[in-house]
Amino acid sequence: MLWIAIRMLTGDAQKFYGLVFGIAFSTLLITQQLTIFVNLIERGASGVYNVSSADIWVMDPVSRTTDIAYAMPATALDKVRSVEGVAWAVPHIRAQASVRTGDGDLEGVAVIGVDDATLIGLPKRMLEGSTEVLEQPDSVIIDDVGATRMFPDQSPIGERLELNDQRAVIRGIADAIPSFTSTVVLYTKYSQALNYVPGTRNRLSFVLVGAEEPAQAKALSERIEHETGLKAQTRDEFAKDGIDFIIENTGIPFNFGITVALGFIVGVAIVGLTFSLFIRDNIKQFGALKAIGVTNAKIRRMVAVQAGLVGLIGYGLGVLGTILFIWGFASNPTFKGFYIPWQIPLISLASVALILALTGWLALRNVLRTEPASVFR
Amino acid sequence: MALDWKNLSFPRQILPTIAVVGLLGAAAFILAGLPDRTLSDPAREPPHAPADLAAQPRVAGSGVVEPSSETVQIGSPLSGLVTRLLVEPGDRVGEGQLLFALDDRAVRAQLREAQAAILEARAAIAEAQSARATAGRQLALYRQVEDPAAVSRAEVIRAEGDANAASERLRLAQARLQAAEARAGSARTEIDRLSIRAPMAGEILAVNIRKGEFVSTMGGGGSQPFIEMGQTSPLHVRIDIDEEQAPRLRLGAPATVSPRGAADRQVEAVFVRAEPQVVPKRSLTNSAAERVDVRVLQVIYQLPETNGLFRVGQQVDAYIPAKGDEE
Repeated sequence: MLWIAIRMLTGDAQKFYGLVFGIAFSTLLITQQLTIFVNLIERGASGVYNVSSADIWVMDPVSRTTDIAYAMPATALDKVRSVEGVAWAVPHIRAQASVRTGDGDLEGVAVIGVDDATLIGLPKRMLEGSTEVLEQPDSVIIDDVGATRMFPDQSPIGERLELNDQRAVIRGIADAIPSFTSTVVLYTKYSQALNYVPGTRNRLSFVLVGAEEPAQAKALSERIEHETGLKAQTRDEFAKDGIDFIIENTGIPFNFGITVALGFIVGVAIVGLTFSLFIRDNIKQFGALKAIGVTNAKIRRMVAVQAGLVGLIGYGLGVLGTILFIWGFASNPTFKGFYIPWQIPLISLASVALILALTGWLALRNVLRTEPASVFR
Repeated sequence: MALDWKNLSFPRQILPTIAVVGLLGAAAFILAGLPDRTLSDPAREPPHAPADLAAQPRVAGSGVVEPSSETVQIGSPLSGLVTRLLVEPGDRVGEGQLLFALDDRAVRAQLREAQAAILEARAAIAEAQSARATAGRQLALYRQVEDPAAVSRAEVIRAEGDANAASERLRLAQARLQAAEARAGSARTEIDRLSIRAPMAGEILAVNIRKGEFVSTMGGGGSQPFIEMGQTSPLHVRIDIDEEQAPRLRLGAPATVSPRGAADRQVEAVFVRAEPQVVPKRSLTNSAAERVDVRVLQVIYQLPETNGLFRVGQQVDAYIPAKGDEE
């Protein structure tokens, strides 16, 4: 009986492909737009996620994100080290600087100074060179996206830059997630960064802390706040701060929200119209089925199977399209590090289910009301 | 429903298969593509509190290694050319050992002049003595003559005058000898002052002059001291403690110290003293523009013998026990 329902569905190729297209299109729109949205606002947290070994970030109470930080006096480091439960603490400087390239162009860069001795604060992986290159004088490591921006079609290794009248030689490329603004990032040692960034009184932007017990990071961050008067955020909290900052200060959530809603509406419109047309066209057949004694429950199941098949194919193709999109653009620096959070396909699955349930229910109302006798009219 | 290749339907069989395979592939892609945000341990060990302090109140500070005598910057009392340089960085010297000598030719010439003047004065003394003896004998001869008519009064007066003049000349010559000797003495002192000696036993830490260079006591030409030395066994470490942390410090407790870059090699240092004065934090970053208005308490600790692990001027991280909540 259910097989008949499927034959009934695929018998009308026009409407069948219309339904599949409708579902696939709204799945693609919802999944792909949500993916880009999530990845875009997570760029606000890339600075936090690029540092792989710090459990807690300590900063001035007015600092908000990795890029908006008010510097602290150098002794803040010792204060943090004095707190019980802190396994280690290292200084971290993040500042904006202007760099003069070999051909004289001026470019704004972010200079990140990592602890001299341990190099804590560098991204986990290097694309080219090793982190040891920072031991050489005047060395900096550039991030991969920055390298493609600043040195298109050439290797940046060995390029000399001028930062605050000081020589800087690029000796490595780090594999890092770019920031929201895709600023070129130069990693160097803390002591070197102090020379590269024009002087202000206090220079220490962050203190990176490793907890004795990483599981207790939240409690430790509260203790640090209590004992030092500084602001301490666990890694996840601070990543969220960066994301919240972008949500609060840009129109991105609103824009993407509109697109996702459009995807949903388009899906409802196309699928709803086609589905109810399809059911109406087949109302005679349903009538005939009723006439030979098929119950309403059975008909409901038949329509559900039809909706399920359309949903499966449409949803599968839509997700596949998103995957192909992300995969195809993976090498593009704009989409570097983009991934599909596993929740998003589930959200679009729920949306598809909602669309199909809504339209199926609307279409079924007619069928259920059909008298078996109508087949003879 | 057996699969029949002839009746294989695109919408009924192939399309759902594509969809299911696509979904499985998507699930694999999504799971494989999830970003790696796991925390990792730092590749190199950062400085951390020693095990017995980990769960106790503590104060952390950073410091600089210095000689136990502090660094002595050797000066020169006189300006001049360096003609001899007898020490190299790393040499161990005893108290009073010659470090370097300045050009002393001019002073030596003065000494020779003074020595010549001494000889001259001695000759003059001898000459004056013989003149005085001659005059004395002549006067005595006149005085022995009984007959007043035999010697005129004028002759006697002249002889007396001669004798007086001869002894005055002797005194003058003696005074001249003393003056020349004093001149020779001051020239010798001057020569001595041109040789710079170690004020104490210790190790030469830096030599900033070279043979042939002019050293000036006027201070111009850079503020580098000529030679830096200090007592490096034992070494001390001067630890800066933030003034806000200072009241918590348990004074007298031993500190755990590790050099930058070798955080795993911690040593225990013995408390020496706390500086009575709280001072503005000295720049530890070598940045000329650094002006930090934080004040620090400086605590001095004595480092154990560690065979070259610590060197003068090196930065260290230190952990010191703090007063607990018992008070």
